[in-house]
Amino acid sequence: MSAVSTGLPPATATALETLLRAMADDEFVIGFSDSEWTGIAPQLEEDVAMSSLAQDELGHAAALYGLLGGLTGSDPDALAYDREPADYRHCRLLDHGRGDWAMTIARRYLYDTADAIRLEALAGGSWAPLAELVGKLVREERYHVMHASTWFDRLARGGREPRARLLSALDELGPDAATVFTPLPGEPVLVEAGIFAAPLSELERRWRAAIGPTFGALDLPMPPVANEPERGRLDHGEAFAWLWGEFTTVRHADPGAVW
Amino acid sequence: MSDGGARTDPTAEPDATRETGDTPPAAEAWEVFRREKDGDPMRHGGSVLAPDAELATHYARELYGRRQESVRLWIVRRADIVDLDDPDLLQPPLDRSFKKPGGYVMRDKLAAAREAAGQPKPKARSS
Repeated sequence: MSAVSTGLPPATATALETLLRAMADDEFVIGFSDSEWTGIAPQLEEDVAMSSLAQDELGHAAALYGLLGGLTGSDPDALAYDREPADYRHCRLLDHGRGDWAMTIARRYLYDTADAIRLEALAGGSWAPLAELVGKLVREERYHVMHASTWFDRLARGGREPRARLLSALDELGPDAATVFTPLPGEPVLVEAGIFAAPLSELERRWRAAIGPTFGALDLPMPPVANEPERGRLDHGEAFAWLWGEFTTVRHADPGAVW
Repeated sequence: MSDGGARTDPTAEPDATRETGDTPPAAEAWEVFRREKDGDPMRHGGSVLAPDAELATHYARELYGRRQESVRLWIVRRADIVDLDDPDLLQPPLDRSFKKPGGYVMRDKLAAAREAAGQPKPKARSS
């Protein structure tokens, strides 16, 4: 498969690559972060649930890397594992390390609600391969939002310690929450081509409107406007460097191994 | 859980754990029944521990449905199940063989009744 076979104008193809890379990296990184709970989640049932959610996200990442690989002629595994940490384009919200359970739930809630808005804007888009995939992703992500909301609500109402931990997590993650909507180069091209229904700034407004009532009802502080929003998918720090080392271990142990 | 209004001594120090809810809600057992495909009966799949119906539903979905092995789940609080294991009612000591169908041959009577009614013998069910 070559890039030519998509029939997309070069500017559109380039913008699409940027979008797919951002989305795939988001799903890949949150999936790997959450898989760190396998074996140590608060309860056996929750251990299975969180591990299964993590697998879902890695599955979504694999599908998105597959689309990206089709556009660029790259191997999806190479896209996932063979880049240097600085070349990943996930959002800064996912760069805080696993933290405690409240951190994980706050991150999941902020990310899943934002991802739902992003997927909604891509469903029915003009590039069929992505629109079809998004139709499937939406159905799985619906459960993710349910799971995250259930826990978010419980921690917020769960008494002194759970609420204090949730507030502390929101304090750390909140300023980076909106980085899911970091403007992408070539974004106007995607909107014009009908691939993306609205600019990311508009999606951020929709997301704030969607989560506002929950934050209001639970008396929690809304995430502030992101710092340096244009760098929201760059400058990954120590926590990601560590995670990258973890998830590339096997790949680096025997480069080129066939499974 | 309600703890407002029922306290007998309004001057007493409130119970710290009740007031803050810092004691996690106790998990209880939920039995999960699953239907593997349309038309199948609901069969017992197993159980999960969860503090309430919402989390029980999440966990049942993950433990008994995440591999697309179910098209429907029933999640039932174990405490809501009417349990009957009384041997006097289920395993009475006297001979009950006369209540079992064995030893009473229906075949000839059934064939005669069919013939009288002009009905053919139904084909064996495939499953």
